[in-house]
Amino acid sequence: MDIIILTLLFITAVLILMGAKRGLILSLWVISLILMLGLFRYHVTSALDLSF
Amino acid sequence: MSAADETPAVTETVAETVVVAETADVPPADAGQKTIWSTLSFWGAHLWVLGYAGVLGGAFTIQFAMGEFPCPLCMLQRYGMLLSTLGALFIIMQARRGTLTSTRYMQGLGMGALGAMAGALVSVRQILLHIKPGDPGYGEPVMGLHLYSWALITFYIVVLYVAVASMVSPRGIPVAPVGGVGRTISTIVIVIFMILLAANVIAIIFLEGFAWVLPDDPISYGLIDQLQGQPIPSGG
Repeated sequence: MDIIILTLLFITAVLILMGAKRGLILSLWVISLILMLGLFRYHVTSALDLSF
Repeated sequence: MSAADETPAVTETVAETVVVAETADVPPADAGQKTIWSTLSFWGAHLWVLGYAGVLGGAFTIQFAMGEFPCPLCMLQRYGMLLSTLGALFIIMQARRGTLTSTRYMQGLGMGALGAMAGALVSVRQILLHIKPGDPGYGEPVMGLHLYSWALITFYIVVLYVAVASMVSPRGIPVAPVGGVGRTISTIVIVIFMILLAANVIAIIFLEGFAWVLPDDPISYGLIDQLQGQPIPSGG
């Protein structure tokens, strides 16, 4: 999953440099963000043992 | 023909003009004017890109020179930094083409702020994992703070920058220099960032290999291990 996210980020950066359509850039960026948050959710395996 | 019959025709013409102005990819009417604020915000975006390029370069130094492997949460914070920096890169490239409008500037700033907030979410989680007294934390501290604490500070700085840039945006839409040294420096900053981004792609291929996710506490490069016949981990 990490490879997919970083590859998407790289492709988005290249598209920004090439002046691709904004819709495409924003779509790829949003997909990367969603994948990143999904991966974060996957790695959060337990509640924190904290009490404030 | 009465006056009432003529009114819709006038409205239609105005609507057509608005549509043309929104869709054409030419310097629009609300493109930035060159002021001290527009110059500052153009180079501010470069400082943003260069700052995170420096952080990513530092993380690489720790990874390769000190042999400290990044954990999954460390990598997620890098993605937050990259997502945020793409907002700044978007602003810079639109400004260099002369097509940056207030709308596009706000989109770039929004990308930057959202990326920083996503990264901050991960930083806060990692700080809270190690917040109890006696916990040594993950990895070696740098200048008294662990890398995830530094990462949180950088995310706050980005959100602060976006807030200030939004406040001055009516006069501060970035305008790029037409040529000369300024243009060259801008290109160098972009190239440095792209090299670091490409290096991150290569590094994660070696780190993760054929596994779907990184292990919780990586101690080697997964791809090399897997090519040498070790089993592919099923999860983090």
